[in-house]
Amino acid sequence: MSSWLDYTINGLIVGNVYALVAVGLALIFGVSRLINFAQGSIYLVGAYIGWVAVVQLHTPLPLTIIVVAVAAALVGLIIERFGLRPLQNSVRIAPLLATIGISFVLDQLVMLTFSPNPRALPSQLPDVRFQIGGGTIGPLDLLIAGVGITSALLLFVFLRYSKLGWAIRATAQDRDAAMQMGVDVNRVNQAVFGIAAALGGVSGLLVGMYYNQIDTAMSLQATLKGVVAEVVGGAGNVPGAVIGSLLLGLVESYGVAVFGTSYRNLFAFLLLVVVLVLRPNGLFASARQAPPEPLTGTFIAPSRPVRIPRWALLVATGIFAILPLLPVSFYVLQTLINAWLLGMLALSLTLVAGTIGQVSLGHAALLAIGAYTSALLSLTFAVPVGLAIIGGGLMSAALGTALISPSFRLRGHYVSIATLAIGEIVSLVILNWESVTRGPIGISGIPPLSLAGYELVSPISIYCFSFIVMVVLALLQGRLLGSHLGRSFRAIRDDDIAARAYGLSLNRYKSLAFIFGGFAAGVSGGIAAHLYSYINHETFNTQQSILALTVVILGGLGNVVGAIVGAVALVGLPEVFRIAAEYRILIYGIVLLLLVRFRPQGLLGTM
Amino acid sequence: MTNSPPDALLALTNVNTFYGQAQVHFDLSISVPRGHIVCLLGGNASGKSTTMKIILGLVKPRSGDVTFDGASLLGLTTPQIVRRGIASVPEARRLFADMTVRENILMGAFVRDDREAIAQDLDKMLTLFPKLGQRLSQRAGSLSGGEQQMVAMARALMSRPRMIVMDEPTMGLSPLYVDRVLELIRTINREGVSVFMVEQNASLALEIAHEAYVLQTGKIVLSGSARALKDDPRIRDAYLGGSEAA
Repeated sequence: MSSWLDYTINGLIVGNVYALVAVGLALIFGVSRLINFAQGSIYLVGAYIGWVAVVQLHTPLPLTIIVVAVAAALVGLIIERFGLRPLQNSVRIAPLLATIGISFVLDQLVMLTFSPNPRALPSQLPDVRFQIGGGTIGPLDLLIAGVGITSALLLFVFLRYSKLGWAIRATAQDRDAAMQMGVDVNRVNQAVFGIAAALGGVSGLLVGMYYNQIDTAMSLQATLKGVVAEVVGGAGNVPGAVIGSLLLGLVESYGVAVFGTSYRNLFAFLLLVVVLVLRPNGLFASARQAPPEPLTGTFIAPSRPVRIPRWALLVATGIFAILPLLPVSFYVLQTLINAWLLGMLALSLTLVAGTIGQVSLGHAALLAIGAYTSALLSLTFAVPVGLAIIGGGLMSAALGTALISPSFRLRGHYVSIATLAIGEIVSLVILNWESVTRGPIGISGIPPLSLAGYELVSPISIYCFSFIVMVVLALLQGRLLGSHLGRSFRAIRDDDIAARAYGLSLNRYKSLAFIFGGFAAGVSGGIAAHLYSYINHETFNTQQSILALTVVILGGLGNVVGAIVGAVALVGLPEVFRIAAEYRILIYGIVLLLLVRFRPQGLLGTM
Repeated sequence: MTNSPPDALLALTNVNTFYGQAQVHFDLSISVPRGHIVCLLGGNASGKSTTMKIILGLVKPRSGDVTFDGASLLGLTTPQIVRRGIASVPEARRLFADMTVRENILMGAFVRDDREAIAQDLDKMLTLFPKLGQRLSQRAGSLSGGEQQMVAMARALMSRPRMIVMDEPTMGLSPLYVDRVLELIRTINREGVSVFMVEQNASLALEIAHEAYVLQTGKIVLSGSARALKDDPRIRDAYLGGSEAA
């Protein structure tokens, strides 16, 4: 590939593939105001069903496409019926979290069934290329373009001329009014999920054939790209999603042409953040349109937090503090060290997501910033490790807050998307900024933990160190929540307009929350870097962000003690039950789903 | 126990409704006789709109019963209730703003499958609401408030309902349109459709209603024939600009 025409063709073809995912997301958002994070998993399932059909059953291409579309649609219907319909009357964040849980479960099931190794998915089409102008185009390109255009036309006709299509459009514009016309909203949801899943599944199949390879990492990437395209086009806007997808494909393709392959995703997420900040309703929304989000913070399940007497907390802290003196195995200490590190991250996230209501899906980026800062300070500038970790915390606080601050004007789901994108951007910058971060090689030989010249290498000393740091952070956060500042945070969460009317500066308080939260997460990342002695751009990934969110919801959003209890539970229980590593993510996904369905306020209640 | 009269098309009997801890309706009983216009009057936060939602199944009462043509509506979903023959003109009209006027009106016939009859009814609507004829392919959101009210009423009639429930049909309209809307409600009623409407503007509502109820913080404080209520000094003082300031 050399000519600009080639890059344009490639961009449009890839854009077509994104469109199949994004249109489904837009339909679902339109009808139920939900960003379906399981869309990429359906795409993944589609790719693997296609692989089974092509490689094992040797189906001809048209039949393969039909099989994939029907099977994926079934998966979509099952998700809607059993995963989301029971949540219809719960808090607004519940369905979003459920789709995240569902995507974990589906991805892991695919991985356990087919192994995480990539598989080749042959395209079944002759490998010839036609010359057009200065570029070339192959039969697969034409197939993808054909499928994209055909499904767009079919969808248009369906929405405009069929009764169900009218019902979908009416529901998207006013759900209650549609019900009063006799529209069965459950059927509309079903239809939309079925269509979205069929399109997503076929998209996965086509992508697999295009790159002649499928693997389980495709899922998250597809969701992210679909979300980018959908938001660029305007959430819920179906034609907008198509145009947003083509635009995204072109931006990526030209970005790759100029800077190289590893920049592809960076351009995608930068485009997303720019659109979110400048035109949160998408490129094509008219100015009069109100953002499709509730105006007040209905994100937290209301509950009365479980009161834990002070003496019980003191006793528990005391027991954990003297634990290393008791005859416990190193294995137990090791597990608890992991729990304390996750606990610090959870403290940070429970403040940001729970107390002030900004549900962050990119929190691992704060770990990464802290880890890289601390590692580089100690390696390059020979800063003592203790100070370097504090430096990591400060850097996470400063940089994290600076990165998120343009998105302070966003609300609800849009905050989640922005944080997710920023998390990805941080990871991609680490990957590409080789002169500082050493790029894909990562940083090795990070000095071990030490304090005032004494190296902390024994599990006991590491245990004590991490435990003390976490307790100090928790105490600080507890003080913070009881203060005037904590009340202001909660006021902003519960009703930002009312809070502003009372003279609270939203930006200032959001900054303060991210500064404090960024510091805690950065310290956690810093300690982790010195413990692991090797880190790279994938050490702190989206999976950890979601794990942290699960911990925080398990403990109860905003609940300081809950965050730590949640961390101990999610790190400890798989160890207690000796669950094999490959099943853990599956378990986390199931835990998240069950929590959202049966106990959205978590174990200890939201605060 | 106040038993609803046998000729009641719609009857609410001893309905108690709660939003969380807060009680909205206290033993609410209302009946709409076949072929009548019944009006529910009340100020802000009196529970008027919740009464509409109870009838349409959007909110479920904690106790009491709602019957339509003798059969209870309580176990039914909103679409099922609509199929029984109740159409609604919601508060603030709630049109499908990005769909055309034509599509909006036809959405009213969503529960019907008789294509030819639907087309005939659409023509009928255009004679009843002549202004909409030139607006058919326009976005509903681009119409004026009064025109939107016409669309909402046409949309409700398209399901060939036995009864229409209306939430403040005159709110926010210019005086010209207020008269027009009231006249249309009368016309609709004369063709055999029973009407239940919720209104703040008592003097207007009592012009066209047969019976009226007055709701105050969830309790019916006054009811009777519209004619009698119009002369009732309590109504005059509360709603019709009586001599003393309230």
